[in-house]
Amino acid sequence: MSISKAAAIVGAAEANEIGYPDEPRTSLQLHIEAIKNVSDYTGIPISAIEGVFSTAWSSDLAEHLGLHPKYIDTTAVGGCSFEMHVHHALCAIYAGVIDVALVSHGENGWSQRRVGREGGPSYPAHRDAPGVQMTIPYGFSGPPSQYAHAMVRHNHDFGTTPEDFAHVSVVTREWAMKNPRAVMFNDETHEFGGPITIDDVNNSRLITWPLTMLHCCLQTDHGGAVLIARPEIARDLKTNPVWIAGAGESMSHSTILETDDFTATSAALSAKSAYEMAGLGPKDMESAMIYDSFTVTAAITAEMLGLAPRGDGYKLWKDGTAAPGGKLPINTNGGGLSFNHSGMYGMHLLVEAYRQLSGTAEDGINGIKGKQTNARTCVVNGTGGLLSTTGTLVLTSD
Amino acid sequence: MPGKKPLPQPSPLTRVFWEGTSEGKLMLPKCNACNRIHWYPRYICPHCHSMDLTWVEGSGEGTLHTFAVQHRAFGGWAEEAPYVTAYIDLKEGDRMATVLRGVDPTKPESIKIGTPVKVEFEEMDDGLFVPFWRVEDAA
Repeated sequence: MSISKAAAIVGAAEANEIGYPDEPRTSLQLHIEAIKNVSDYTGIPISAIEGVFSTAWSSDLAEHLGLHPKYIDTTAVGGCSFEMHVHHALCAIYAGVIDVALVSHGENGWSQRRVGREGGPSYPAHRDAPGVQMTIPYGFSGPPSQYAHAMVRHNHDFGTTPEDFAHVSVVTREWAMKNPRAVMFNDETHEFGGPITIDDVNNSRLITWPLTMLHCCLQTDHGGAVLIARPEIARDLKTNPVWIAGAGESMSHSTILETDDFTATSAALSAKSAYEMAGLGPKDMESAMIYDSFTVTAAITAEMLGLAPRGDGYKLWKDGTAAPGGKLPINTNGGGLSFNHSGMYGMHLLVEAYRQLSGTAEDGINGIKGKQTNARTCVVNGTGGLLSTTGTLVLTSD
Repeated sequence: MPGKKPLPQPSPLTRVFWEGTSEGKLMLPKCNACNRIHWYPRYICPHCHSMDLTWVEGSGEGTLHTFAVQHRAFGGWAEEAPYVTAYIDLKEGDRMATVLRGVDPTKPESIKIGTPVKVEFEEMDDGLFVPFWRVEDAA
Protein backbone atom coordinates (compact mmCIF):
# COMPACT_ATOMS: atom_id res chain seq x y z
CA MET A 1 0.00 0.00 0.00
CA SER A 2 1.17 3.52 -0.83
CA ILE A 3 1.46 6.18 1.86
CA SER A 4 -0.89 8.34 -0.22
CA LYS A 5 -4.36 7.90 1.29
CA ALA A 6 -3.01 5.53 3.96
CA ALA A 7 -5.18 7.56 6.34
CA ALA A 8 -8.15 9.90 6.23
CA ILE A 9 -9.39 12.82 8.24
CA VAL A 10 -12.66 11.35 9.50
CA GLY A 11 -14.07 14.36 11.27
CA ALA A 12 -13.40 17.94 12.32
CA ALA A 13 -14.95 20.14 14.97
CA GLU A 14 -14.49 23.43 16.77
CA ALA A 15 -14.88 24.62 20.33
CA ASN A 16 -18.41 25.66 21.34
CA GLU A 17 -17.64 29.36 21.47
CA ILE A 18 -14.97 30.99 19.31
CA GLY A 19 -14.21 34.55 18.26
CA TYR A 20 -14.56 37.25 20.90
CA PRO A 21 -16.56 35.49 23.65
CA ASP A 22 -18.18 37.52 26.43
CA GLU A 23 -16.82 35.20 29.08
CA PRO A 24 -13.05 34.66 28.82
CA ARG A 25 -12.01 31.15 27.77
CA THR A 26 -8.77 29.29 28.36
CA SER A 27 -6.74 27.53 25.70
CA LEU A 28 -7.24 24.19 27.43
CA GLN A 29 -11.01 24.69 27.48
CA LEU A 30 -10.96 25.40 23.73
CA HIS A 31 -8.93 22.21 23.14
CA ILE A 32 -11.18 20.00 25.24
CA GLU A 33 -14.46 21.25 23.78
CA ALA A 34 -13.20 20.67 20.25
CA ILE A 35 -11.96 17.18 21.14
CA LYS A 36 -15.27 16.26 22.78
CA ASN A 37 -17.16 17.61 19.75
CA VAL A 38 -15.09 15.71 17.19
CA SER A 39 -15.46 12.52 19.22
CA ASP A 40 -19.25 12.94 19.31
CA TYR A 41 -19.30 13.83 15.60
CA THR A 42 -17.34 10.78 14.45
CA GLY A 43 -18.51 8.30 17.08
CA ILE A 44 -14.88 7.54 17.91
CA PRO A 45 -14.56 7.49 21.71
CA ILE A 46 -11.79 9.63 23.17
CA SER A 47 -10.43 6.45 24.77
CA ALA A 48 -9.69 5.07 21.26
CA ILE A 49 -7.17 7.84 20.49
CA GLU A 50 -3.69 6.32 20.20
CA GLY A 51 -1.68 9.32 19.00
CA VAL A 52 -1.84 12.88 20.35
CA PHE A 53 -0.51 15.71 18.18
CA SER A 54 -0.64 19.34 19.30
CA THR A 55 1.45 22.44 19.93
CA ALA A 56 0.46 22.43 23.57
CA TRP A 57 2.61 20.04 25.57
CA SER A 58 0.88 16.98 24.20
CA SER A 59 1.64 15.06 27.38
CA ASP A 60 -0.30 17.68 29.40
CA LEU A 61 -3.18 17.38 26.98
CA ALA A 62 -3.17 13.56 27.01
CA GLU A 63 -3.04 13.59 30.80
CA HIS A 64 -6.04 15.92 30.99
CA LEU A 65 -7.92 13.42 28.80
CA GLY A 66 -6.75 10.46 30.90
CA LEU A 67 -5.03 8.92 27.89
CA HIS A 68 -1.91 6.75 27.68
CA PRO A 69 -1.06 7.25 24.00
CA LYS A 70 1.42 5.22 21.96
CA TYR A 71 2.54 8.27 20.00
CA ILE A 72 3.11 11.77 21.44
CA ASP A 73 4.09 14.71 19.23
CA THR A 74 4.54 18.35 20.32
CA THR A 75 5.81 19.80 17.07
CA ALA A 76 5.41 23.55 17.66
CA VAL A 77 6.96 25.58 14.86
CA GLY A 78 4.23 28.15 14.42
CA GLY A 79 0.89 28.20 12.69
CA CYS A 80 1.77 25.48 10.18
CA SER A 81 2.37 22.94 12.94
CA PHE A 82 -1.08 21.39 12.43
CA GLU A 83 -0.47 20.58 8.78
CA MET A 84 2.78 18.97 9.93
CA HIS A 85 0.88 17.05 12.62
CA VAL A 86 -1.34 15.57 9.90
CA HIS A 87 1.79 14.63 7.94
CA HIS A 88 3.28 12.98 11.03
CA ALA A 89 0.03 11.18 11.87
CA LEU A 90 -0.18 9.88 8.29
CA CYS A 91 3.36 8.51 8.62
CA ALA A 92 2.62 6.92 12.01
CA ILE A 93 -0.54 5.25 10.72
CA TYR A 94 1.16 4.12 7.50
CA ALA A 95 3.98 2.62 9.58
CA GLY A 96 1.44 0.64 11.57
CA VAL A 97 2.28 2.24 14.91
CA ILE A 98 -1.21 3.67 15.55
CA ASP A 99 -4.72 3.41 14.08
CA VAL A 100 -6.34 6.63 15.34
CA ALA A 101 -4.71 10.04 15.78
CA LEU A 102 -5.95 13.27 17.33
CA VAL A 103 -4.67 16.65 16.12
CA SER A 104 -5.87 19.34 18.49
CA HIS A 105 -5.62 23.09 18.87
CA GLY A 106 -6.82 25.53 21.50
CA GLU A 107 -5.59 29.10 21.71
CA ASN A 108 -7.26 31.98 23.46
CA GLY A 109 -5.72 34.73 21.36
CA TRP A 110 -8.41 37.10 22.63
CA SER A 111 -9.18 35.92 26.18
CA GLN A 112 -5.54 35.49 27.21
CA ARG A 113 -5.43 39.20 28.03
CA ARG A 114 -7.88 38.50 30.86
CA VAL A 115 -7.30 34.92 31.96
CA GLY A 116 -3.75 34.05 30.90
CA ARG A 117 -2.70 31.23 28.62
CA GLU A 118 -3.57 28.06 30.59
CA GLY A 119 -2.94 25.07 28.34
CA GLY A 120 -1.70 27.35 25.60
CA PRO A 121 0.77 26.73 22.84
CA SER A 122 4.39 26.21 23.68
CA TYR A 123 5.40 28.38 20.71
CA PRO A 124 7.18 30.78 20.53
CA ALA A 125 9.91 30.04 23.02
CA HIS A 126 13.19 30.91 21.41
CA ARG A 127 13.99 34.47 22.46
CA ASP A 128 17.49 33.37 23.41
CA ALA A 129 18.33 32.00 19.96
CA PRO A 130 21.33 33.97 18.65
CA GLY A 131 19.54 35.02 15.46
CA VAL A 132 16.58 36.35 17.42
CA GLN A 133 18.95 38.19 19.76
CA MET A 134 20.33 40.10 16.79
CA THR A 135 16.91 41.51 15.89
CA ILE A 136 15.93 42.48 19.44
CA PRO A 137 17.43 46.03 19.50
CA TYR A 138 15.54 47.26 16.43
CA GLY A 139 12.02 48.11 17.52
CA PHE A 140 10.15 45.24 15.88
CA SER A 141 6.94 44.29 17.67
CA GLY A 142 4.38 41.73 16.51
CA PRO A 143 4.21 39.88 13.20
CA PRO A 144 2.88 42.92 11.21
CA SER A 145 6.14 44.73 11.99
CA GLN A 146 8.01 42.02 10.07
CA TYR A 147 5.60 40.92 7.33
CA ALA A 148 5.42 44.48 6.01
CA HIS A 149 9.00 44.04 4.79
CA ALA A 150 7.81 41.21 2.54
CA MET A 151 5.16 43.37 0.90
CA VAL A 152 7.63 46.18 0.25
CA ARG A 153 10.07 43.80 -1.40
CA HIS A 154 7.29 42.15 -3.44
CA ASN A 155 6.20 45.60 -4.64
CA HIS A 156 9.80 46.32 -5.63
CA ASP A 157 10.49 43.02 -7.40
CA PHE A 158 7.17 42.51 -9.20
CA GLY A 159 5.72 46.03 -9.52
CA THR A 160 2.77 45.19 -7.29
CA THR A 161 1.06 47.66 -4.98
CA PRO A 162 -0.59 47.46 -1.55
CA GLU A 163 -3.91 47.99 -3.38
CA ASP A 164 -3.31 44.76 -5.31
CA PHE A 165 -3.08 42.87 -2.06
CA ALA A 166 -6.18 44.61 -0.67
CA HIS A 167 -8.26 42.42 -3.02
CA VAL A 168 -7.35 39.43 -0.84
CA SER A 169 -8.98 41.16 2.11
CA VAL A 170 -12.13 42.20 0.22
CA VAL A 171 -12.77 38.77 -1.33
CA THR A 172 -12.04 36.91 1.88
CA ARG A 173 -14.65 39.11 3.58
CA GLU A 174 -17.18 37.96 0.96
CA TRP A 175 -16.60 34.39 2.16
CA ALA A 176 -16.91 35.45 5.81
CA MET A 177 -20.37 36.83 5.01
CA LYS A 178 -21.42 33.23 4.27
CA ASN A 179 -20.18 31.92 7.62
CA PRO A 180 -22.27 32.78 10.70
CA ARG A 181 -19.33 31.72 12.91
CA ALA A 182 -17.09 34.33 11.28
CA VAL A 183 -16.28 37.29 13.48
CA MET A 184 -16.86 39.62 10.51
CA PHE A 185 -20.04 37.84 9.28
CA ASN A 186 -22.16 40.99 9.50
CA ASP A 187 -22.56 44.21 11.48
CA GLU A 188 -24.25 42.31 14.32
CA THR A 189 -21.34 39.93 14.88
CA HIS A 190 -18.89 42.82 14.84
CA GLU A 191 -19.30 46.56 14.45
CA PHE A 192 -16.94 46.47 11.47
CA GLY A 193 -18.43 43.25 10.02
CA GLY A 194 -20.12 42.92 6.62
CA PRO A 195 -18.89 44.00 3.21
CA ILE A 196 -15.72 46.04 2.72
CA THR A 197 -14.20 47.84 -0.25
CA ILE A 198 -10.64 48.42 -1.48
CA ASP A 199 -10.93 51.97 -0.12
CA ASP A 200 -11.87 50.58 3.30
CA VAL A 201 -8.68 48.49 3.29
CA ASN A 202 -6.53 51.40 2.12
CA ASN A 203 -8.03 53.81 4.64
CA SER A 204 -8.04 51.59 7.72
CA ARG A 205 -5.59 52.34 10.49
CA LEU A 206 -1.92 52.12 9.53
CA ILE A 207 -0.12 49.45 11.59
CA THR A 208 3.23 49.04 9.80
CA TRP A 209 3.42 50.80 6.46
CA PRO A 210 2.35 49.55 3.99
CA LEU A 211 0.13 47.22 6.07
CA THR A 212 -3.11 48.79 7.24
CA MET A 213 -5.29 47.01 9.79
CA LEU A 214 -7.41 45.31 7.11
CA HIS A 215 -4.30 43.71 5.60
CA CYS A 216 -3.82 41.97 8.97
CA CYS A 217 -5.58 38.97 10.51
CA LEU A 218 -7.80 38.98 13.56
CA GLN A 219 -6.70 37.85 17.01
CA THR A 220 -9.46 35.73 18.49
CA ASP A 221 -10.19 32.60 20.50
CA HIS A 222 -10.33 29.38 18.53
CA GLY A 223 -10.20 25.68 19.25
CA GLY A 224 -10.37 22.90 16.72
CA ALA A 225 -9.69 19.20 16.47
CA VAL A 226 -9.54 16.57 13.77
CA LEU A 227 -9.42 12.79 14.05
CA ILE A 228 -7.37 10.76 11.58
CA ALA A 229 -7.79 7.03 11.05
CA ARG A 230 -6.63 4.23 8.82
CA PRO A 231 -8.89 3.33 5.85
CA GLU A 232 -10.50 0.24 7.43
CA ILE A 233 -11.76 2.39 10.31
CA ALA A 234 -12.60 5.43 8.18
CA ARG A 235 -14.91 3.45 5.90
CA ASP A 236 -16.98 2.10 8.81
CA LEU A 237 -17.79 5.49 10.31
CA LYS A 238 -20.96 7.52 9.82
CA THR A 239 -18.89 10.54 8.72
CA ASN A 240 -17.46 11.14 5.23
CA PRO A 241 -13.70 10.55 5.10
CA VAL A 242 -11.42 13.15 3.53
CA TRP A 243 -8.33 11.43 2.21
CA ILE A 244 -4.80 12.57 2.89
CA ALA A 245 -3.48 12.12 -0.63
CA GLY A 246 -0.27 14.07 -0.09
CA ALA A 247 1.67 15.73 2.71
CA GLY A 248 4.92 17.63 2.95
CA GLU A 249 6.75 20.07 5.17
CA SER A 250 9.80 22.29 4.97
CA MET A 251 11.36 25.53 6.16
CA SER A 252 13.46 28.27 4.67
CA HIS A 253 14.59 29.68 8.02
CA SER A 254 13.51 30.10 11.61
CA THR A 255 14.75 33.60 12.41
CA ILE A 256 13.67 36.24 9.91
CA LEU A 257 17.31 37.35 9.62
CA GLU A 258 17.90 34.20 7.60
CA THR A 259 15.16 34.95 5.06
CA ASP A 260 16.85 34.55 1.72
CA ASP A 261 13.95 35.85 -0.40
CA PHE A 262 11.29 38.04 1.26
CA THR A 263 8.90 37.30 -1.63
CA ALA A 264 8.96 33.51 -1.27
CA THR A 265 8.38 30.76 1.28
CA SER A 266 9.30 27.11 1.64
CA ALA A 267 5.75 26.25 0.57
CA ALA A 268 7.33 25.62 -2.83
CA LEU A 269 9.24 22.74 -1.23
CA SER A 270 6.51 21.39 1.04
CA ALA A 271 4.01 21.56 -1.83
CA LYS A 272 6.39 19.67 -4.12
CA SER A 273 6.52 16.83 -1.59
CA ALA A 274 2.76 16.86 -1.13
CA TYR A 275 1.93 16.98 -4.84
CA GLU A 276 4.41 14.18 -5.58
CA MET A 277 2.97 11.94 -2.88
CA ALA A 278 -0.54 12.60 -4.19
CA GLY A 279 0.38 12.15 -7.83
CA LEU A 280 -1.46 15.43 -8.44
CA GLY A 281 -0.42 18.96 -9.33
CA PRO A 282 -1.65 22.51 -8.87
CA LYS A 283 -3.88 22.26 -11.95
CA ASP A 284 -5.77 19.40 -10.28
CA MET A 285 -6.67 21.52 -7.25
CA GLU A 286 -10.31 22.63 -7.14
CA SER A 287 -10.00 24.65 -3.92
CA ALA A 288 -7.32 25.94 -1.57
CA MET A 289 -7.00 26.81 2.10
CA ILE A 290 -4.11 29.22 2.45
CA TYR A 291 -2.74 30.78 5.63
CA ASP A 292 -3.71 34.44 5.52
CA SER A 293 -2.02 35.98 8.52
CA PHE A 294 -1.70 38.94 6.17
CA THR A 295 -2.91 39.57 2.64
CA VAL A 296 0.67 39.30 1.45
CA THR A 297 1.12 35.88 3.09
CA ALA A 298 -1.82 34.44 1.17
CA ALA A 299 -0.81 35.94 -2.18
CA ILE A 300 2.83 34.84 -1.93
CA THR A 301 1.78 31.36 -0.81
CA ALA A 302 -0.57 30.99 -3.79
CA GLU A 303 2.48 31.61 -5.99
CA MET A 304 4.53 29.05 -4.05
CA LEU A 305 1.78 26.43 -4.41
CA GLY A 306 1.86 26.84 -8.19
CA LEU A 307 -1.68 28.25 -8.29
CA ALA A 308 -0.45 31.49 -9.92
CA PRO A 309 2.75 32.63 -11.67
CA ARG A 310 5.44 34.37 -9.58
CA GLY A 311 4.33 37.89 -8.72
CA ASP A 312 0.72 37.26 -9.73
CA GLY A 313 -0.73 35.55 -6.64
CA TYR A 314 -2.99 38.51 -5.80
CA LYS A 315 -4.72 38.20 -9.19
CA LEU A 316 -6.56 35.06 -8.01
CA TRP A 317 -8.51 37.35 -5.69
CA LYS A 318 -8.58 40.43 -7.92
CA ASP A 319 -10.14 38.57 -10.88
CA GLY A 320 -12.64 36.63 -8.75
CA THR A 321 -11.06 33.18 -9.18
CA ALA A 322 -10.85 32.78 -5.39
CA ALA A 323 -14.23 34.40 -4.65
CA PRO A 324 -17.62 32.76 -4.05
CA GLY A 325 -18.64 31.26 -7.40
CA GLY A 326 -15.06 31.41 -8.69
CA LYS A 327 -13.14 28.60 -10.33
CA LEU A 328 -10.73 28.09 -7.41
CA PRO A 329 -12.43 28.95 -4.10
CA ILE A 330 -9.88 29.99 -1.46
CA ASN A 331 -10.41 30.37 2.29
CA THR A 332 -14.12 29.65 2.20
CA ASN A 333 -14.47 30.11 5.98
CA GLY A 334 -13.58 33.79 5.74
CA GLY A 335 -9.91 33.26 6.52
CA GLY A 336 -7.74 34.54 9.29
CA LEU A 337 -8.57 37.97 7.95
CA SER A 338 -12.32 37.81 8.67
CA PHE A 339 -13.30 34.44 10.23
CA ASN A 340 -10.97 33.80 13.19
CA HIS A 341 -7.24 33.72 13.87
CA SER A 342 -6.14 32.57 17.29
CA GLY A 343 -2.43 33.24 16.68
CA MET A 344 -1.65 29.91 15.01
CA TYR A 345 -4.16 29.51 12.19
CA GLY A 346 -3.28 26.07 10.84
CA MET A 347 -6.12 24.19 12.53
CA HIS A 348 -8.73 26.59 11.15
CA LEU A 349 -7.52 25.60 7.66
CA LEU A 350 -7.89 21.90 8.41
CA VAL A 351 -11.41 22.21 9.81
CA GLU A 352 -12.65 24.14 6.78
CA ALA A 353 -10.92 21.85 4.29
CA TYR A 354 -12.60 18.87 5.97
CA ARG A 355 -16.01 20.55 5.87
CA GLN A 356 -15.76 21.49 2.20
CA LEU A 357 -14.55 18.10 0.97
CA SER A 358 -16.95 16.13 3.21
CA GLY A 359 -19.90 18.20 1.98
CA THR A 360 -20.71 19.61 5.44
CA ALA A 361 -19.82 23.26 4.93
CA GLU A 362 -23.44 24.46 5.20
CA ASP A 363 -24.91 22.64 8.18
CA GLY A 364 -26.40 25.73 9.83
CA ILE A 365 -23.45 26.33 12.13
CA ASN A 366 -20.71 26.33 9.56
CA GLY A 367 -22.24 28.19 6.69
CA ILE A 368 -25.21 29.47 4.76
CA LYS A 369 -26.22 28.94 1.16
CA GLY A 370 -23.38 29.46 -1.27
CA LYS A 371 -20.61 28.47 1.13
CA GLN A 372 -20.48 24.81 0.11
CA THR A 373 -18.38 24.40 -3.03
CA ASN A 374 -18.30 21.40 -5.34
CA ALA A 375 -14.52 21.01 -4.97
CA ARG A 376 -13.24 17.45 -4.72
CA THR A 377 -9.62 18.38 -4.12
CA CYS A 378 -8.00 20.96 -1.86
CA VAL A 379 -4.45 22.10 -1.27
CA VAL A 380 -3.95 23.26 2.32
CA ASN A 381 -0.88 25.24 3.29
CA GLY A 382 0.12 26.57 6.68
CA THR A 383 2.86 29.14 7.24
CA GLY A 384 4.60 29.39 10.60
CA GLY A 385 6.82 31.95 12.27
CA LEU A 386 7.88 34.84 10.03
CA LEU A 387 7.48 33.30 6.55
CA SER A 388 9.58 30.55 8.13
CA THR A 389 8.08 27.07 8.25
CA THR A 390 5.45 25.50 6.01
CA GLY A 391 3.28 22.40 5.89
CA THR A 392 1.27 21.44 2.82
CA LEU A 393 -1.48 18.84 2.43
CA VAL A 394 -3.29 17.62 -0.65
CA LEU A 395 -6.73 16.41 0.43
CA THR A 396 -9.34 14.66 -1.69
CA SER A 397 -12.97 13.64 -1.21
CA ASP A 398 -12.45 10.23 -2.77
CA MET B 1 6.12 55.95 31.54
CA PRO B 2 8.12 54.67 28.59
CA GLY B 3 9.95 51.39 29.13
CA LYS B 4 13.55 50.66 28.19
CA LYS B 5 14.40 49.57 24.69
CA PRO B 6 14.97 45.82 24.70
CA LEU B 7 18.58 44.76 24.23
CA PRO B 8 20.33 41.50 23.50
CA GLN B 9 22.09 39.51 26.19
CA PRO B 10 25.72 39.07 25.08
CA SER B 11 26.70 35.41 25.22
CA PRO B 12 29.94 33.44 24.75
CA LEU B 13 28.93 33.11 21.10
CA THR B 14 28.39 36.84 20.51
CA ARG B 15 30.92 38.38 22.94
CA VAL B 16 33.48 39.29 20.24
CA PHE B 17 30.81 41.11 18.25
CA TRP B 18 29.75 43.27 21.20
CA GLU B 19 33.35 43.98 22.19
CA GLY B 20 33.87 45.17 18.62
CA THR B 21 30.89 47.51 18.59
CA SER B 22 32.20 49.23 21.74
CA GLU B 23 35.36 50.05 19.75
CA GLY B 24 33.44 51.21 16.69
CA LYS B 25 34.13 48.02 14.73
CA LEU B 26 31.60 45.81 12.96
CA MET B 27 33.06 42.37 13.58
CA LEU B 28 31.72 39.60 11.34
CA PRO B 29 32.04 35.83 11.70
CA LYS B 30 34.00 34.23 8.87
CA CYS B 31 34.72 30.62 7.97
CA ASN B 32 38.40 29.79 7.38
CA ALA B 33 37.47 26.77 5.26
CA CYS B 34 35.17 28.40 2.69
CA ASN B 35 36.10 32.06 3.37
CA ARG B 36 32.44 33.09 3.57
CA ILE B 37 30.90 35.54 6.02
CA HIS B 38 27.78 34.54 7.90
CA TRP B 39 25.44 36.56 10.07
CA TYR B 40 24.45 35.84 12.92
CA PRO B 41 27.31 34.21 14.89
CA ARG B 42 27.32 30.41 14.96
CA TYR B 43 29.29 27.47 16.30
CA ILE B 44 29.48 25.96 12.81
CA CYS B 45 29.63 27.41 9.30
CA PRO B 46 26.11 27.19 7.83
CA HIS B 47 27.58 27.03 4.31
CA CYS B 48 30.24 24.28 4.54
CA HIS B 49 29.86 22.98 8.14
CA SER B 50 33.46 23.64 9.09
CA MET B 51 33.98 24.59 12.72
CA ASP B 52 37.15 26.54 11.88
CA LEU B 53 35.66 29.99 12.35
CA THR B 54 37.21 33.39 12.96
CA TRP B 55 36.18 37.05 13.19
CA VAL B 56 37.05 39.79 10.69
CA GLU B 57 36.34 43.51 10.78
CA GLY B 58 33.61 44.39 8.28
CA SER B 59 33.62 47.46 6.04
CA GLY B 60 30.46 48.86 7.62
CA GLU B 61 29.02 49.32 4.13
CA GLY B 62 25.90 47.81 2.67
CA THR B 63 22.72 48.38 0.69
CA LEU B 64 19.05 48.52 1.63
CA HIS B 65 17.32 45.17 0.95
CA THR B 66 13.81 45.99 2.18
CA PHE B 67 12.13 48.18 4.79
CA ALA B 68 8.87 49.09 6.54
CA VAL B 69 7.59 51.95 8.67
CA GLN B 70 6.54 51.12 12.22
CA HIS B 71 3.52 53.18 13.23
CA ARG B 72 2.59 51.07 16.22
CA ALA B 73 5.35 50.47 18.73
CA PHE B 74 5.69 49.55 22.36
CA GLY B 75 7.88 50.11 25.41
CA GLY B 76 11.02 52.12 24.78
CA TRP B 77 10.24 52.46 21.09
CA ALA B 78 6.68 53.79 21.49
CA GLU B 79 7.61 57.46 21.53
CA GLU B 80 9.80 57.18 18.42
CA ALA B 81 7.05 55.95 16.08
CA PRO B 82 6.87 56.32 13.19
CA TYR B 83 10.34 54.95 12.43
CA VAL B 84 11.79 52.85 9.63
CA THR B 85 12.99 49.29 10.17
CA ALA B 86 15.06 47.63 7.48
CA TYR B 87 17.20 44.72 6.39
CA ILE B 88 20.67 45.52 5.08
CA ASP B 89 22.68 43.48 2.59
CA LEU B 90 26.25 43.64 3.88
CA LYS B 91 29.02 44.35 1.38
CA GLU B 92 30.70 41.18 2.66
CA GLY B 93 27.54 39.10 2.21
CA ASP B 94 24.54 38.09 4.36
CA ARG B 95 22.07 40.44 5.99
CA MET B 96 21.49 42.47 9.17
CA ALA B 97 18.42 44.06 10.73
CA THR B 98 18.36 47.73 11.72
CA VAL B 99 16.38 50.82 12.46
CA LEU B 100 17.24 52.87 9.40
CA ARG B 101 18.53 56.39 9.91
CA GLY B 102 18.80 59.35 7.56
CA VAL B 103 15.34 58.74 6.05
CA ASP B 104 11.93 60.39 6.46
CA PRO B 105 9.42 57.88 7.86
CA THR B 106 6.54 60.08 6.73
CA LYS B 107 7.69 59.76 3.09
CA PRO B 108 8.27 56.01 2.56
CA GLU B 109 7.99 56.44 -1.21
CA SER B 110 11.23 58.47 -1.04
CA ILE B 111 13.14 55.48 0.38
CA LYS B 112 14.71 53.32 -2.33
CA ILE B 113 15.66 49.65 -2.14
CA GLY B 114 19.31 49.26 -3.16
CA THR B 115 20.36 52.58 -1.59
CA PRO B 116 23.91 52.49 -0.08
CA VAL B 117 24.02 52.62 3.72
CA LYS B 118 26.76 52.91 6.35
CA VAL B 119 26.95 51.60 9.88
CA GLU B 120 27.18 53.70 13.02
CA PHE B 121 27.13 52.77 16.69
CA GLU B 122 25.02 54.10 19.56
CA GLU B 123 25.63 53.51 23.23
CA MET B 124 22.46 52.15 24.77
CA ASP B 125 21.50 51.43 28.38
CA ASP B 126 23.96 49.19 30.25
CA GLY B 127 26.81 50.43 28.03
CA LEU B 128 26.00 48.16 25.09
CA PHE B 129 26.91 49.70 21.72
CA VAL B 130 24.34 48.76 19.07
CA PRO B 131 24.98 49.09 15.31
CA PHE B 132 22.48 51.11 13.27
CA TRP B 133 22.61 51.81 9.53
CA ARG B 134 22.22 55.22 7.90
CA VAL B 135 21.42 56.40 4.41
CA GLU B 136 24.06 58.99 3.59
CA ASP B 137 22.85 62.30 2.19
CA ALA B 138 21.93 61.92 -1.45
CA ALA B 139 24.53 63.46 -3.73
